[in-house]
Amino acid sequence: MGLKQYINDIVEAVVTTAKGMRITARYGVDAGEEVTQQYPEERREPSERFRGFLHNDVARCTSCQMCIKVCPVDCISLEAVRGADKKFVLASYVINIGRCMYCGLCVEVCPTKSLTHTSGYEKASVNRGELVLHFIHEDAAEIKARVARQVAEAAAKAAEAAKAAEAVKAAANPAAPDVAPAAANKPAPAEPQAKAAPEPEKKG
Amino acid sequence: MESFALSLVKAVPALSGVPMWTVTLTAMVLTAAILLVFALTFGGLGSYVLRKVAGDIQVRIGPNRVGPYGLLQFLADGAKLILKEDIIPAKADRFLFILAPYLVFVGSFAAFVVLPFGVGLIASDLNIGVYYVMAVTSLVVVGILMAGWASNNKWALLGGMRAAAQIISYEIPVGMAIMPAVLIAGSLSLQDIVRSQGGLLGVFGWNLFHNPFTFFSFILYFTAAQAETNQTPFDLPEAESELVSGYNVEYSGIRYAFFFLAEFGDMFVVAALATACFLGGWHVPFFHAEALPAVWGNLLSLGAFLFKAFALVLVMMWVRWTLPRLRVDQLMRMSWKYLVPLTFVNLLGVSLWLLLFKGKGIPQMIASLVG
Repeated sequence: MGLKQYINDIVEAVVTTAKGMRITARYGVDAGEEVTQQYPEERREPSERFRGFLHNDVARCTSCQMCIKVCPVDCISLEAVRGADKKFVLASYVINIGRCMYCGLCVEVCPTKSLTHTSGYEKASVNRGELVLHFIHEDAAEIKARVARQVAEAAAKAAEAAKAAEAVKAAANPAAPDVAPAAANKPAPAEPQAKAAPEPEKKG
Repeated sequence: MESFALSLVKAVPALSGVPMWTVTLTAMVLTAAILLVFALTFGGLGSYVLRKVAGDIQVRIGPNRVGPYGLLQFLADGAKLILKEDIIPAKADRFLFILAPYLVFVGSFAAFVVLPFGVGLIASDLNIGVYYVMAVTSLVVVGILMAGWASNNKWALLGGMRAAAQIISYEIPVGMAIMPAVLIAGSLSLQDIVRSQGGLLGVFGWNLFHNPFTFFSFILYFTAAQAETNQTPFDLPEAESELVSGYNVEYSGIRYAFFFLAEFGDMFVVAALATACFLGGWHVPFFHAEALPAVWGNLLSLGAFLFKAFALVLVMMWVRWTLPRLRVDQLMRMSWKYLVPLTFVNLLGVSLWLLLFKGKGIPQMIASLVG
């Protein structure tokens, strides 16, 4: 190592140090903007396609159970009964958000777009029960009983109407065959459908 | 200290009945307590400022949760360290393990004794002040080596060995870089060194501007002293990226706090020594603090001294958050190939200057030319 190299080393050390110090001094005196976000006070808006907690808009849900079938971790479960107008009525819709892995398959598959990802991501809780989201707050048994009652009423009404029609028909043409509204008479599937169980019958 | 006790007895006649040694002892203990409180407060607030400066430089915010602007963060940290479990590893050398942090802390705290805080504010104006500081801060290396060895941990041991090699290597440039101030003052007493920089030349009376060699001496001293006290660009003994935490890796709770405080104590000692030897110590520029009434003179000079020392501490923090850590071989090369020869050349230069120009600095010569 020659003397020239030696002096060059010293000069380089001093110059590079000074350079670095100037940069940090500039930031130290005036940082411009802080990159820190003080989380509980300031929150960043999640991006548009952020997959947060699931939310089911139960009014639009048709109880088709596609979400249940597609869920890889089986975190969704629902109970539904067939109502008087032949449409399913949700008795309960439960998502275990602690088990959810936010894959988004259920949202993609939902035909009525009732199931959506919200932007929520804060769900720290002291017990796991709080992580189970119930979207129908009424008691499932009550709903079932009410639907059964409605179905029975509708059936009775239909039977009455049929009887009246029959009477009218009989009056007009006593030999006419009996054309009862079979669908209304059919009993609704009142038994609870288990989570992820295949639907016992197709609609319609 | 005895003279202080004597003047105290003279000032307060009620004390004349008390035996002289009690007064002296009380004065000693009180002085030590004041210095200790100062050192602890500096350690605490220093850690806060250090983290704030780090935040500013790294475009972050830094501590801001405890108290206004996070100012009480150091109290929370201190309480945490005191309350934490004091773990001693099962296979550690218990006696040395327990002793080491105190040795390190004493090594850095003992240097406070001779720091000239003001006109009369010095615990003990030893006539070998500079020498004493050099000697007593070397005690730190024993403590660190002890901590590294007693921990029975490979990282701690490596850290301790590195610290020993580093501190001993850098002792030489530190001593040689501070010698010019001693040469100019003709005394090892820090108070004499500070007095030699006074006069009505103001800032230009400082050793920093005495001649070009002293200017370089200051820079060399500041660099070498940072290395000697394991400040960050040279903090190989605790290099967290390779040694986890170095010699203090097994320490927790209050014992860790002692290492921590020793680090900040060292920081202040380095800054204070640089201030006293090169930046005119407690001299207020263009102002004669000694001529004032004792109380005001002392307060003013204390303020000036602390201002200069804290400014240097800030520079140390600034360096700390700028420069990356050196490698071991780079560190050794820097000491033996660069700093040691340079400080020797510097010392020679200052000696020749003093010989040729009869002890006059450049500002003095200019002043005498002007009139």
